[in-house]
Amino acid sequence: MNPTSSAPLRPGVLARRLVRWWWRRFRTIRPTREGWWCLFAATGLGVAAVNTGNNLAYLLCSMLLAIVTVSGALSDLALRGLRLRLVPPDEVYAGRAALFGVVLVNRKRRLASHSIDVVTPGGVPAVLHVARLPPGAERLGSVELRLPRRGRHRVPSFALATRFPFGLFVKTWPATGATEVLVFPAVFPLSRDREREIGAAGDATTRRRGRGHELYNLRPYRPGDEPRLIHWPTTARAGVVTVRELEEDAGLDTRIVLAGTGARDAARLEVGLSEAGSLAVHLLRAGVAVELVGPGMWVPLDRGRGQETRVLTALALYAPPGGPPAPGARSLVYPATLAGLLRQLVVDLD
Amino acid sequence: MTKGASSAPKTPDVPISAALRIGLYLLLTDGIVALELGDFLGVRGAAVVAPLLAACFWAELRGWRVDGRSPVVRGLVVLAAVLSVADVAYLAETVLDGLVRLLLFLVVYKLLTQRTVAESRTVTFLAFFMLVASAVSAFGVGFLGVLVAFAGLVTWVALYQNASLEAAPVPGRVVLGAPSIPGSSLAGLAGGASAGVLLLTAALFAVLPRVGLAALPLRAHLGQMVSGFSERVELGDYGSILTNDAVAMRVQILDMAGDPTRLGPLRWRGIALDEFDGRAWSVRHPRRTRLVRPAGGSFEVGSLQGSGLILRQEIFLEPFGAEAVFGATRALRLVYPAGAMAVDDMGSVTAMPSRSRIVYTVESELELPSPFRPRHPPPSLDDEARQRYLQLPVLPERIHALARQAAAGAGDPTEVARRLNAFLSREFRYTLTLEKLSELDPLDEFLFVRRAGHCEYFAAALAVMLRSLGVPSRVVNGFQQGEWNPLGHYFIVRLRDAHSWVEAYLPGAGWVTFDPSPRALAEPPRAPSPVFLYLDMLRLSWNRYVINWSLRDQVDIALAVRGHAGDLGPALAEAARTHARAAQLWLALVVLAVAGVIWRSQPAWRRGAAPVLPDFYRKALRMVGRRGLRPGAGETAREFGVRVARLGSVEGEAFGRLTRAYERSRFGGRSPTRHERQALDGCLTALIGRPPARPASA
Repeated sequence: MNPTSSAPLRPGVLARRLVRWWWRRFRTIRPTREGWWCLFAATGLGVAAVNTGNNLAYLLCSMLLAIVTVSGALSDLALRGLRLRLVPPDEVYAGRAALFGVVLVNRKRRLASHSIDVVTPGGVPAVLHVARLPPGAERLGSVELRLPRRGRHRVPSFALATRFPFGLFVKTWPATGATEVLVFPAVFPLSRDREREIGAAGDATTRRRGRGHELYNLRPYRPGDEPRLIHWPTTARAGVVTVRELEEDAGLDTRIVLAGTGARDAARLEVGLSEAGSLAVHLLRAGVAVELVGPGMWVPLDRGRGQETRVLTALALYAPPGGPPAPGARSLVYPATLAGLLRQLVVDLD
Repeated sequence: MTKGASSAPKTPDVPISAALRIGLYLLLTDGIVALELGDFLGVRGAAVVAPLLAACFWAELRGWRVDGRSPVVRGLVVLAAVLSVADVAYLAETVLDGLVRLLLFLVVYKLLTQRTVAESRTVTFLAFFMLVASAVSAFGVGFLGVLVAFAGLVTWVALYQNASLEAAPVPGRVVLGAPSIPGSSLAGLAGGASAGVLLLTAALFAVLPRVGLAALPLRAHLGQMVSGFSERVELGDYGSILTNDAVAMRVQILDMAGDPTRLGPLRWRGIALDEFDGRAWSVRHPRRTRLVRPAGGSFEVGSLQGSGLILRQEIFLEPFGAEAVFGATRALRLVYPAGAMAVDDMGSVTAMPSRSRIVYTVESELELPSPFRPRHPPPSLDDEARQRYLQLPVLPERIHALARQAAAGAGDPTEVARRLNAFLSREFRYTLTLEKLSELDPLDEFLFVRRAGHCEYFAAALAVMLRSLGVPSRVVNGFQQGEWNPLGHYFIVRLRDAHSWVEAYLPGAGWVTFDPSPRALAEPPRAPSPVFLYLDMLRLSWNRYVINWSLRDQVDIALAVRGHAGDLGPALAEAARTHARAAQLWLALVVLAVAGVIWRSQPAWRRGAAPVLPDFYRKALRMVGRRGLRPGAGETAREFGVRVARLGSVEGEAFGRLTRAYERSRFGGRSPTRHERQALDGCLTALIGRPPARPASA
């Protein structure tokens, strides 16, 4: 259908276009080489039968047509009732192969499905094959996909194909709707020089409660406190169970700053975002808290796997100014650097 | 986006298994039988082809292969192509014979060179082309067996071929589960597919539109052109007449419920002969009128005389070369598959002899038994006609004297004819073995020396004697009744049933049939076996409903369906009125059945049906139920699990794990893996083992 057409369509024409669009959209049947021979033989026999009136030729033509019809019906039955679910991985990085889970379920109650191929987007022939899927059963598999660019992507629908029963036709049905996947920028291990550059830690303290090593406070025990934090000397002296509170280690807390907008050079922008992501992943996995700031973007300071996801998400969704702000990112107002508390690593986007 | 090359995968090289090889050879055997049915092979051909096929099978079993790419084999193929051209152009009887020989060569070549399942598909197609070739000239019911066997074999072979190709490992493709379809599934699928193919074949065959004439072969062996029936009566041949058991025609009596044998001896009239030259009867001056088929579709060949006995016959005529169109005396109307035919002034109908079996319908007016007379007898013969039908050559006086003697005392021509008929039947013997006992003319020798002969002698003698007494007569050639097949309700008429009789012109009655031959007394009654009758009925049905299926039949069926459909409504209404209560009950049952089907097809949640619980959770519920703990109305599984754990009367952690597994299974669509099942079994054991704990004191 042409969405730009502005002339009003007659109902009959509209109906025909709808039927054609639906047919192309949801069904494809392609004869194999043997299928073409079969069709050619049926056509030839039909013409000969009509011209000669030979009823045995009609009989053979009918048999060929019956074989084609039975083939179509059985392949329909094989594909009907099948559901394919795509399970994307938690993290997908641009340009890197990601393993997507595929679950194929036969929802029919009595009939098995035979000879099913899972066809990946792009028309690459089957990467998964199921010879027989009993009624109610499911099969789990995985498919490797490579998404080249960061950002939100819709993985085109997978399809199910079968040559069942006679290999005369390949019937393909779309099996999944498009699945949305968020692709993080490519992340690479840091070079040794870069590691050394960012590896220097200070001895500054944060003066806040945390999981560091220095004593922050002593207080009475509360249910849920870790027994290993009980401070026994104080407990013995005071006669009340007392625990230690530790201070947050602030030596490596880092703010990654994206300098520039990246509007001038898209390739440079991607390199910059990739570098920022690599830095963030390296630091977060080392236990460092990381904050990310950039044009229209701020991910508050935090540590751990959750923070890694938040930072990478923000980087994945970053668009040079002029576009909508990245969801999950807060406004430009962020706390100014407190001297000695955060070190800054600047990444150029331009 | 995806890993891997984007080109279509090559068909994998899968070797041919023993089962598939047997299936292929069975297919080829079926094809060879088809060629034999089509008269392409004959004894010599079968003697060559069958051992070749066996040799190929043996070679394949031994693993011997011919390399199709070698120069020698390629040279052989080229040579075969050249020889084929020469065969088709100069040697073969028809083009099709030459092509069949080429087809057989290709079959042998493929059998010796094939290595993989993909190549075996070519053999399947070649077997199919054998059937196509035989369809041109095979008309016997044996083709039905060939077709059914082929449909069954080809579905199995094609299924197996595809399953073998799909099971082959393909680089880059991962197989989930078992690599191939189990053999038992394949067998079931093949059976179902074969049945579907056969049913659909029958349905499509019935409805595919017919726009030409049925059963016109491109090639046919006519076989024996003339045997039994003759369009002349020649006296004077000596020796034994061989009886030919070949079927000449099958005659089905239409629109008659009872046994038509009670109608009296039926005869299928062919041709009437009016001139006798002393040794042979023939038609002196054929006065034929050419009839062109009118728009109504039937040829009007006679006029009604008002006897009241109308017999409709459907005749399945074998191609034995006769021009005569047969039917019961006297034919009024013919529905015949030809554009034109001829009828002479003696009521003989002729058409171009067909090279294949044909079907036609005759409507005949039977003669009334004596003394009854038809209401509209034909007009008296004029002088020219009398002269014609009283014509006689110079005969010995004793023949005339014998006629006078045999008819002495008869008052009218009817009585004369009856007495002469009875005289010949009584005084002369029927025989098929004739010896020359004298130098007399054949008729003279029959009447006065041998006093025995076959039906032609009896008919000739009666006609001559009637003419000598002034009764116009003529000899008729045709067939006598034949054997009655009660299974199919038709007469089987064989070539040996060819017969001659006489028609005499009687005032007020017209032409009346007289049959002086005591043939029925001489020939023992034939009682074919039930098996033969059944097979012959099958043959007739094959000829009628397959070989001769025509546009007219399709129209008749469509009209019948429309007529019955039109009657269905009033019939149903009448039945509903008559059997109101039963009709209401049936209607209620139908409505309930439909509602049940619709209800069952709804998703379970919409039906309000209880969700299907996994067995592990069902067991867990049962175990906690024994302790008096059951989910409340509207309480979710998780809430129930928390309540159970809080009460402390069972292993709360175990039940919690079971609840979480249930949630994953029910809502996440993920069944527990084997390891998870083992852990769940441990939880169930924990539920059983731990005795009820006392509630904790405050």
